[in-house]
Amino acid sequence: MSSQNDQSQSEDTHINVADGVDHQVAMVMDLNKCIGCQTCTIACKSLWTEGGGREYMYWNNVETKPGEGYPRGWEDSGGGWESGEHKERKTGEIPSEEEYGRPWEFNHSEIMYEGSDEPLRPREGAEWGPNWDEDQGAGEYPNSYYFYLPRICNHCTHPSCVEACPRSALYKRAEDGIVLVDQDRCRGYRYCVEGCPYKKVYYNTVSKNSEKCIFCYPRLEGEGPDGETYAPACAEECPPQLRLVGFLDDEAGPIYKLVEEYEVALPLHPEFHTQPNVYYIPPYAPPQHTDEGETVDVERIPRQYLEELFGERVHDALDTIERERQRVRQGGESELMELLQHKNPAKQYRLEVFEDA
Amino acid sequence: MRDTTSKRRRTLLVAAVVAVLVTLSAVAAPLASARPAHEIPVAPATGDLSGPTTDGWEDVPAATVPLASAPSSVPNADQTSVERVHVQAARGDGQLHLRLQWHDATRDVATNETRAFADSVAVQFPVNTSSRPPIAMGGPTNRVNVWYWSGATGTEELLAGGAGSTTRFQNPSVNATAVHRGSGENATWTVVYTRDVGASGANRTTIADDGDVDVAFAVWNGSNSERAGRKSVSEWHYFPFGPGPEGPPYETVLWTVAGIAIVGVVAVTAFGVHRARGGMR
Repeated sequence: MSSQNDQSQSEDTHINVADGVDHQVAMVMDLNKCIGCQTCTIACKSLWTEGGGREYMYWNNVETKPGEGYPRGWEDSGGGWESGEHKERKTGEIPSEEEYGRPWEFNHSEIMYEGSDEPLRPREGAEWGPNWDEDQGAGEYPNSYYFYLPRICNHCTHPSCVEACPRSALYKRAEDGIVLVDQDRCRGYRYCVEGCPYKKVYYNTVSKNSEKCIFCYPRLEGEGPDGETYAPACAEECPPQLRLVGFLDDEAGPIYKLVEEYEVALPLHPEFHTQPNVYYIPPYAPPQHTDEGETVDVERIPRQYLEELFGERVHDALDTIERERQRVRQGGESELMELLQHKNPAKQYRLEVFEDA
Repeated sequence: MRDTTSKRRRTLLVAAVVAVLVTLSAVAAPLASARPAHEIPVAPATGDLSGPTTDGWEDVPAATVPLASAPSSVPNADQTSVERVHVQAARGDGQLHLRLQWHDATRDVATNETRAFADSVAVQFPVNTSSRPPIAMGGPTNRVNVWYWSGATGTEELLAGGAGSTTRFQNPSVNATAVHRGSGENATWTVVYTRDVGASGANRTTIADDGDVDVAFAVWNGSNSERAGRKSVSEWHYFPFGPGPEGPPYETVLWTVAGIAIVGVVAVTAFGVHRARGGMR
């Protein structure tokens, strides 16, 4: 897993999937469509992390950027690889309960049963939590800005969580590259928690094992009552349908085109060198205004900030989107714009393309 | 005349004391050196050894085993805190009892927070006692049987054939009780393991009665985030379970001869000095 060579590439594609992995699941999230409604978060939570030591976990979360994120300050918590050679890992830290946000106790009993007329509120200790800084963003009126960043496990091609585990309890599934924690092998050492630079592996304080997003693999495998294949719940339940789900090496699919051909879908923090398989269409905000409301030719979201998130390639990606938008504005046709706008779930979720392979 | 008698007596007394001291040191030396550096004495179990603080342990000799950070690929593996563990072993009534004690200022027994790790200790034996496995969790063809105790989860009996291969026994043959006492510099964990000597089973160490059995120790300080390969470990030591614990017989013979020779030389010298002084008068 730690090395990648030419042999690992399929003969008919130049996609780099991990050694020993047949096909790689991937997701593209269009940040321009996210309204921060947290439906994905709740879909995931009600399906996988409602209780039993998982109270604090959000395998899917949506955070406001710029912002501290969930867990607080995760971008500076270490983990990942020192370089693209994937030989040396960076040390990381395990976030504290406070950084994740402890579940709050509310004064329900006082209000419901004791006749208190105080407002419903947390009893104490409510000093931080997921989305504490929701919609805060940055910048000054009238040019303040923020956008939402939905995050799940990136099911990386070079997962540092897998490498961090001294027991090899984490692994990448051979058939689709989904990264999983073998609950029988795990002994709760939490090197995966500190080793993931995205902080998307969580320690279950009751089972004493680590857990993470499973890309809803039972849904992919049609394990539900109707036996049908479904995309992960976070994608299917999304009101604006901002997620595409499929395989990175499915060259006929939209993910391949957006990631590999147009290069407008980018991994988050590529400098962590884990090679994520969740990609983002970077946010494309309206330009800045003057105090009088006049539009000026200055980008609202500083490119430098987007570069911090998505790397240098964000410039080309945004330039490509702008060029294609312009083409459509002038009456031309653009496959890229079609890809970013189409509403056909059959194209949006391509999960059965390799089943006969 | 009285003066001369008194001097003679004093001289004889000094000679006698010197002779006794020399003889004692000659006899004591082999006794002290009878325990090689990596041997952990095994006493016969006589008193009550059932708990960490029961009376019987007062009569069981202790060995101090130095610990050092285990070589490991996990981050910060060299940052460990426990430097020694005191080990006592006693055998009797078909049971082997081990008592391990080490200093740890904090009692960490909960793992219900994301950053909380529990204090733990482990005793490692070769599954096959006729050869010595790699010290770090044994090897694929030379496995180890581990008695693991954690403040959070209690006792586990484990099998390992190399780092990362630890596997739980379904029916453990060992149990442990523990207590943390004192505070600050005097705070100490005391863990007592008990196993039926006759316990058998696949991949379980046979406790011999006719030879040495290798043993190694590991300690984790939970509040220092020690877990997995981040631990303080010993080198291989051994329990002398066989008969004849006093070392090779020629050693005793040689020291006896040396002792008699020394006593003789001292006696002759004292006699010579006494005569020389008498002659000068």
